[in-house]
Amino acid sequence: MDVLYGPWPRHHRDVTLAEVRRRLEHSPVGGALALSTRGPLFDDRAGNEETLRDLAGCPELRPVGTVDVRDAMTAEDRLDELAAAGVRFLRLFTAEQAAEPGFPGYRRVVELALARGMVLLHDGDPRRYGPPLMGRGADVVFLDLHAYLLADFLLMAREEPGFRVTTRMLSGPDSVERVVHSVGARHLVFGSRTPFMDISPSTLRLRYADISDDERHAVATGNVEELLS
Amino acid sequence: MPIIDVHAHVGRWQFHLSCGDADDNLRLMDRYGIDLQLVSASEAVVHDAVAGNSALTKELASRPRLYGYAVVNPNRIEESAADLRRCLDSGRFVGAKIHTHYPGRLPGSREMAGAFDVVAEAGVPLLLHTWGREVLQLPDMVASRPGLRVIMGHAGGEAWREAAHAAASCEGLYLEHCRTAADSGRIAYAREAGVPVERLLFGTDATLIDPCWSLGVLRDAGLTPAELDRVLWRNAADLFGLEIPA
Repeated sequence: MDVLYGPWPRHHRDVTLAEVRRRLEHSPVGGALALSTRGPLFDDRAGNEETLRDLAGCPELRPVGTVDVRDAMTAEDRLDELAAAGVRFLRLFTAEQAAEPGFPGYRRVVELALARGMVLLHDGDPRRYGPPLMGRGADVVFLDLHAYLLADFLLMAREEPGFRVTTRMLSGPDSVERVVHSVGARHLVFGSRTPFMDISPSTLRLRYADISDDERHAVATGNVEELLS
Repeated sequence: MPIIDVHAHVGRWQFHLSCGDADDNLRLMDRYGIDLQLVSASEAVVHDAVAGNSALTKELASRPRLYGYAVVNPNRIEESAADLRRCLDSGRFVGAKIHTHYPGRLPGSREMAGAFDVVAEAGVPLLLHTWGREVLQLPDMVASRPGLRVIMGHAGGEAWREAAHAAASCEGLYLEHCRTAADSGRIAYAREAGVPVERLLFGTDATLIDPCWSLGVLRDAGLTPAELDRVLWRNAADLFGLEIPA
């Protein structure tokens, strides 16, 4: 969940798709949802085309689309292109694109994506972006939930069957267990943000989590497969 | 291979986490093969340094695998200086810990300079919470206090590049990389910036963070067995004068 490849100017070096694939090969992760950084940083249409073209030869990677919320006037066309290409996931980059939950462009993109039944891969603080998404039957994967903010997510997840969180920053000794035992394993999916983040912290945490093997399987693969179907 | 964790805490945190007493530390240490852990009291960090240090003294008395950092509050420097001496006299404390966020004092402030003087006079290593570009102040602060050795806890956090260059420029600075956001390449960057492997330390932030987080970061750093040997325990043993129990 949330694999990126390509240039990123704030980083001291870039990671190509080939290197991302090598890193995944040397990890326990067998598959991933990925996209090119061209889409969020420069040109959403060209970025989506690049993602689809690049990943066509990568059976272990599934393409993720994006729409630039700074140019939401074109969002409908972008989302139709993604839907026509069979893309189920829309990654939002509200941090890089400086979009607040109440901004018209952001609201328009979300409205169009939910109308098309797309799953939102959502960055940012779930305490800010979660409440406006409640009560809409939305499938949302929050990518940036820190262990410190877990209680706020759990309060929302109790009411929202479509709210999920990745393991990426659930670093507490019992954060994974608290999600699984309080709202169920269906609300948790594996994520590391490879290659921008190290992958082993998340794989080790899931391996050692005090949950059942069925719950571990759901978090590792089952829940994402369900979203893909 | 032995493991010494130089950055951990005992006590509860004000988040939705179940960590609590020192037995939680030991349970996680057993799970991941950590031999020794250097801890400060969460109460001392976020609320009351003297009360937290006192409570930690009692916890350490019956747990020989745990050693203490006495928390120094830069805003209460006279009180903290006396408390640091009391803690060190117990024989169960091996260093000082200073946070920046909770007392609201950064390197460069008058209060933090006073706190550095207290620790330098005590002659023990300092674990400093570092999180931001203020790490660039540290080389001068350390170099002007001969003998002072400062572990940059979290290796600067978001400012890990600046922290790497600060450490590379000053022999008294060490890097310790525990952090929830596991930005890849931090350790390789520090090595390329000129930080010798002898000044990299293993810390976890347990039990706030599960130790597997830092173990995973080290795994992905691709260190050689000899380098891992230094980072996982030997550097800490040298710095604090610790022996691994048989």
